[in-house]
Amino acid sequence: MADPRLDTLASVLCGYSLEVAAGDLVLVEGPILAQPLFVSLAREITRRGAHPVMRPKSEDVTTAMLEWAGEEQLAYISPIDEWESMVPDKFLDIWAESNTRRLNGVPAGNQAIRRAARRPLTERFFERLARGESRWCGVTLPTEAQAQDAGMAYADYERFVYGAGHLDDPDPIAAWREVSRRQAKVAERLASVSTLRIVAEDTDLTIDVSGRPWVNADGHQNFPDGEVFTSPHENATSGHIAFTFDCPYDGREAAGVRLWFEDGRVVREEADRGLEFLREMLDMDEGARRLGEVAFGLNPEIQRATGSIAFDEKIGGTCHVALGMAFPEAAGTNSSGLHWDMVCDLRSGGEVYGDGELLARDGQFQ
Amino acid sequence: MSDPRIERLARVVIGYSLGLKKGDLVLIQAPSLAEPLVVELVRAALDAGANPAVRFSLPGVDHAYLSEATEGHLRFLLPYAVDEMQALDARIAVHAASNTRELSEIEPAKLRTRQDTNRPVMETYMQRSAAGELVWCVTAYPCTAFAQDAGMSLKQYEDFVFRAGWLHLADPVAAWKDFSRKLHEIVDRLKDVRELRVLAVGTDLTVGVAGRTWIAADGDRNFPDGEVFTGPEETRTRGDVAFSFPAIFGGREVDGVRLRFEDGRVVKSEASAGQSLLQEMLSVDDGASVLGEFAIGTNYNVDRYTKQILFDEKIGGTFHMAVGAGYPETGSTNTSALHWDMVCDLRSGGEIQADGETIYRDGRFLPEFAPDLTPPAE
Repeated sequence: MADPRLDTLASVLCGYSLEVAAGDLVLVEGPILAQPLFVSLAREITRRGAHPVMRPKSEDVTTAMLEWAGEEQLAYISPIDEWESMVPDKFLDIWAESNTRRLNGVPAGNQAIRRAARRPLTERFFERLARGESRWCGVTLPTEAQAQDAGMAYADYERFVYGAGHLDDPDPIAAWREVSRRQAKVAERLASVSTLRIVAEDTDLTIDVSGRPWVNADGHQNFPDGEVFTSPHENATSGHIAFTFDCPYDGREAAGVRLWFEDGRVVREEADRGLEFLREMLDMDEGARRLGEVAFGLNPEIQRATGSIAFDEKIGGTCHVALGMAFPEAAGTNSSGLHWDMVCDLRSGGEVYGDGELLARDGQFQ
Repeated sequence: MSDPRIERLARVVIGYSLGLKKGDLVLIQAPSLAEPLVVELVRAALDAGANPAVRFSLPGVDHAYLSEATEGHLRFLLPYAVDEMQALDARIAVHAASNTRELSEIEPAKLRTRQDTNRPVMETYMQRSAAGELVWCVTAYPCTAFAQDAGMSLKQYEDFVFRAGWLHLADPVAAWKDFSRKLHEIVDRLKDVRELRVLAVGTDLTVGVAGRTWIAADGDRNFPDGEVFTGPEETRTRGDVAFSFPAIFGGREVDGVRLRFEDGRVVKSEASAGQSLLQEMLSVDDGASVLGEFAIGTNYNVDRYTKQILFDEKIGGTFHMAVGAGYPETGSTNTSALHWDMVCDLRSGGEIQADGETIYRDGRFLPEFAPDLTPPAE
C-alpha cells in the first residue's frame, strides 16, 4: 500500500515548492527505491497539465560507473546530460539512500574528477535558476538507511521527516507560508549586517557578507526546509570553525572537521575521520577551499542531528557553511565542482555577532 | 550471488551484438527490475571504452501518467527527443516488466496518439539504423511477470531465456558466429526468390519479395535472436493468414487474428477476442494495414510460445509478419507509427513455397535448401 502522505507530499511539492503550471516540463530525478513517490508525482504533475520527465537512477549503476570508468569516461558529459539540465522548466531531486556508505569502496579521486568535469554544467544550471528561468527543489524521502544513521526506527524516522515538512498538518501549505513569514524577519535583520562573527566551542569565524542578499529558504528549494543563507565575500573569511556533526558528502563522510581560514581560503584542515577524503575534495579545484555559503538553520521541528545534511543544516539553532560553489542568487561568485555543507551547533553557548552587535545567543535570534 | 549468465549476456550484447567502440554514446533503457543486468551492461560498455547513459522506467509511473494524460499531453514530444536519437551511437532496450498487463485498462486511442506523436523519433531511429549510424539491440531480462505469462517458474524461465541465447555455453560468441554463417547461407538462397507462398491451417498467403533484401538476424539487433526477414513489396501481398498465437500489443492480447490481404493491404480483419484493439491499431495511419516485415523464426532453443514477441517470433518452426513500419534496409518503403509482429506456427503441416517450389515443411527448411539449424549441444 502506498503511503497517503506521498500524495500530500507530491501536491505540496507541485503546488507550493515548484508551483508547477500547465505546459511546464518537469524533470524528476531520484533513486529507484523512491518508486512510490515517482508514481504520486507522475499523477500530480500530469493533473496540473505539465509534462513529467521521470529519471530514476540506480545507486548500483552510479557506483559501477565511478568504480569502472576511466578518466575520460568520468569526465565525459553527454548531450543528454546537457539537455536534461538545461531544457526543463522545473527540476525535482528526490534524496533517498539505500546505503549511505555505498561509495566508500570507490576511489575518492574519481568522484572529484566527475564533479570537476560537471562544474560548467552545474554552474549554468544554477545561473538559469538565479535568472528565474527554471526552478529546482530537493526533497528528502525517508529510508531505512537514513533511519539507521539517525539511530532511529524507520517508523520514528518517517514521523520525523514528515513532521519536519508539516505534512501531518491539516494544511501543510499554510504552515509553510507561516514559516516563511517568520524567517523573513531573520533574513531582513541579517541583510543590514556587513561583518558576521560566529563564536562557539573551538570556533571564532569572521565572514564578510556586506551587500550580499540573504535568501529565505522556506520550502521552495529544499523540502523540508528552514534556513536563511547567503554567499559570503570570497576573499575575506578569517578565523577557525569546528563542526559539531559528521559531514557526509556524496556517499562518504568526514567527521570532527576543523578548518582554519585566511583571506577567504582554508589554510589548514583537520578531521578525526575521513581526512584523506576531505583533502581530496578541498583540492578538487581552486574554489573548493573557499566558502560558497553561510547559513542559519531555523526549523524548530528539527532538533536532533540525524547524519543527513539536508536535515542537520536546518536544525533550529545551528549555523552552517559550505565549501565550494556559491549561489548566484545570493550574489556569490565562488566557482567550484564542490558544494559541501558542514554544520556547527550554536545551541549551547554559541553567539552570532553582526557588526559587533549580538544577534543570536544559543542559536536563537533576538 | 549473482547469476554468471547475466554477466555473460551483457558481454555478448556489448561485444558481439553491438561491437561498441571507444567513445560511443550508448543509451541503455530498462525497467528498474533489470538493474542487475544494467550494472553488467554498464561495466562491459565502460570496458569497451564507451560512454553509457542509463534510463530506467518504474512500475506504475506510465500507468499513472497515461491515466491522467489528456490529448495535449499525448501530443507533446520532449523538445530534444529527436536530437537525442541523432546523438546516440548505440541503444540497448532491455525487455522486462513487473506486470505485463499494467496498461490493459488504458484506452487504446491514448496509446495510438502517443505512438503517433513519437513518429519523428521512430523515423530518425530507423533512418540512422539503416544508414549504419546507429546500432541497437533489444534484449531481455528474465523476470517473474514474463515467467508467469509463459506458465513457468522464474527458474525455469531463466533457463529458457539463457538457453535461447546459448549463454549456458562456455563460449556463446563462437556458437553465435557459427549460427550466423548458416543464416547467411539461407539468406543467400532467398535473395533470388520473387514470391513466397505460405500454407498452413487457415493460411494461404502470397507475398512478393522480388528485389528485396533478406537479413540474417544473428544476434546483433535482438538478443537472443534467430530469424531471417525482409520487407515485402507493399502492393503484392494477397490471400489469408490465421495466426496460431495471440497477438500482443501494449500488454493486451488479441486472440485468433485472421487477416485477408488484397493488393498489399488488409481488407478484412477478424479476431476471436480483442477485435476493437486490432482495428484501432490497423487504422493508426495509412501504413498500418500494409506489411512491413515477413520473417521465418530459426532459433530451435526457443521451442514454445511464451507471450513475449522477442522470443515468440524466433521460435524455430514459425513464420511471422509485422503490419506497419518496415525496415528501410530490407528495401521496404512502408512507413507507419505501428510495427506489430504476429506469429504463425508451421511445425505441424505448414509449408513454404518459393516461386512454386517447396523449400520448407513442418517447421524446417528442406536439407537441400538450407543447413541444419539445430542448436549447439550442452
